[in-house]
Amino acid sequence: MIAPIPLTARVAVPGPDTTRAARLHALAELGAAGWPTRRREQWRYTDLEPLAADNFDLVPGAIDSETIAAAQALLADASLGGASQQLVLLDGERVPSLGASALAGIEVTGLEARWGEFVTSFAKPIGAAEYPLAALNTAFARHGLWIRIPAGTVVPAPIHLVLIGSARERIAAQPRIVIEAGPGAQATFVQHFIDCSPESRGWCNSVTQLKQAAASRLGFYRLQRHARSVAHTSLLSAELAESADLTAGYFDLGGRLVRNDVAIALRGRLARTELFGLLLAGEGQHVDDHTVINHAAGETVSNENFRAIIGERGRGVFNGKVVVEPGCQRIDARQRNDNLLLGEHAEIDTKPELEIHANDVKCSHGSTVGELDAEQLFYLRARGLPPVDARRLLTTAFATTIVEQIADADIRSEMLAHVTTRLGPLTEQ
Amino acid sequence: MSDMLSIENLHARVADREILKGLTLRVPAGEVHAIMGPNGSGKSTLAQVLAGREDYEVTAGRVVYRGQDLLAMAPEERARAGVFLAFQYPIEIPGVNNAYLLKAALNAQREARGEPPVDAFEFMKLIKNKMEIVNISKDFLTRNVNQGFSGGEKKRNEILQMLLLEPRLAVLDETDSGLDVDALKIVAHGVNSLRSPERSMLLVTHYERLLELIVPDRVHVLAGGRIVKSGGKDLARELDERGYDWVQAGGQA
Repeated sequence: MIAPIPLTARVAVPGPDTTRAARLHALAELGAAGWPTRRREQWRYTDLEPLAADNFDLVPGAIDSETIAAAQALLADASLGGASQQLVLLDGERVPSLGASALAGIEVTGLEARWGEFVTSFAKPIGAAEYPLAALNTAFARHGLWIRIPAGTVVPAPIHLVLIGSARERIAAQPRIVIEAGPGAQATFVQHFIDCSPESRGWCNSVTQLKQAAASRLGFYRLQRHARSVAHTSLLSAELAESADLTAGYFDLGGRLVRNDVAIALRGRLARTELFGLLLAGEGQHVDDHTVINHAAGETVSNENFRAIIGERGRGVFNGKVVVEPGCQRIDARQRNDNLLLGEHAEIDTKPELEIHANDVKCSHGSTVGELDAEQLFYLRARGLPPVDARRLLTTAFATTIVEQIADADIRSEMLAHVTTRLGPLTEQ
Repeated sequence: MSDMLSIENLHARVADREILKGLTLRVPAGEVHAIMGPNGSGKSTLAQVLAGREDYEVTAGRVVYRGQDLLAMAPEERARAGVFLAFQYPIEIPGVNNAYLLKAALNAQREARGEPPVDAFEFMKLIKNKMEIVNISKDFLTRNVNQGFSGGEKKRNEILQMLLLEPRLAVLDETDSGLDVDALKIVAHGVNSLRSPERSMLLVTHYERLLELIVPDRVHVLAGGRIVKSGGKDLARELDERGYDWVQAGGQA
């Protein structure tokens, strides 16, 4: 259905008539911005042209009962939090029989119910020139999830956002999630991307938007373990008011072509964010993390730490940009990016970018690319560990440093288990 | 008495530099031998070659350990067969805790001997009194391997690993360097507690003071890549008093 985009109004958009104008507007913006190609700096290492050529289906038909049953079976996995704490989207859509319909103490609705407000407050502020795929999402996202945590509410248990991809042919799911945290509200989310079948070949184009009022605290951990033929593009955008706090962790284990954009704006004084990520890519996988942290107020703090482990013939990209806007003083911004290559043909492109327009700023960044340490390997072998075990142990240790940044002990141990499982085949390639 | 270790005419080099130039040495089972010698004589090279370090190329000679061709074995095979090297500079491994490494190392050996792996409970029982011997506190187990350890803690950690693994042949590469008197006593106590008729040890050291605490059966002087003099425990004191020049001169004459 996407002819190598520029899309035009000829494309049928889904949803009620009331949503149509904004959808067509998003498409027009995407058309004007153009489909991302490698000729654009932000897309230099990641080629999305195959996606446009793959004839994906942006307006899929109704989900059949077999697909729902397959999704239902997946939800039994204990690491997905259990039915009472699950909000589920199947191919980007809510299905009444999957997960919880409501969660105590928070408000859960959808986009189409409050479409006007969604467009004004969440769709329009994201520019198609910077985030063209978010415009595509606006055009084709359906009800999605709109979560509101009232002022002062402290949600005791983590909420699991489970985004399931079906095995339907040429499916191009457009999940959209909006989370608003009222003043002083606190909650932790785990966003899972999984697929019904290891044979799934779809494309998931996800947009998640966080809006944090003053002194709210959110934890947001994203675990992407798509099937190996699935394409995944995502945007996480977050806006933090005064003294708001966001801890966000990104874990990419699956997929074939993955592009993640993270855009965090610290808009209020004393807002702070801790952003970390672990990118694992083996043969046939291309995973690209692009992050932007914008210090748009004084006394804001950011601490970013991304690591990649690239197996033989895997490909990774990290681009981390930190912006300090004019007049924003007493900023503390730290960024680290360390990368481990496990094969002769493993490849990573890493690029820190700093744009500092203020003078009272503590800013640091560092980036390394290396192989496993020969001294450490020998030490372990001299203690009797076979080379394959020694390599796996050191690789896991490299990954563990990131996993340990997760504050919640249960989420941390689940995440470590998933990471360790994926590292097995990655270190043996 | 049968030989634990027999080295004949060993030549080894790193990059283009020949360091061991025909070293011959026999260590019978149950004996503790000290290797002394000036800086650059090849002491550490010998220790590394015995452990199987690939940076060193053996160009001639043979090493027989308990009847096996040691040089044909991979580093982990040597460890599993009971060879232990206490590193001069123990390696830091961020992200791997001591308990994990100790248990993995122990189970690797047990697997080689056809024994079942120890579980967490048995492991704790085993390690507890060994930690007391080298005066290491309990929180040590959850700390990352050697990360942030003082020099003395690193060396005691090597000895703890040795106590747990109970090697047949232990090679201690300058385990005494950088230790104060108290730490030296702890290390010596650990080493002495392992002495037995089935076990041999090779102590590579600069200083005689260690050999007052761990009294060797034999002392060898390594200079210019060869053993130039061997003697009983009194040789160490003589070297301490007279330096190495007289031995080197005598050995090469």
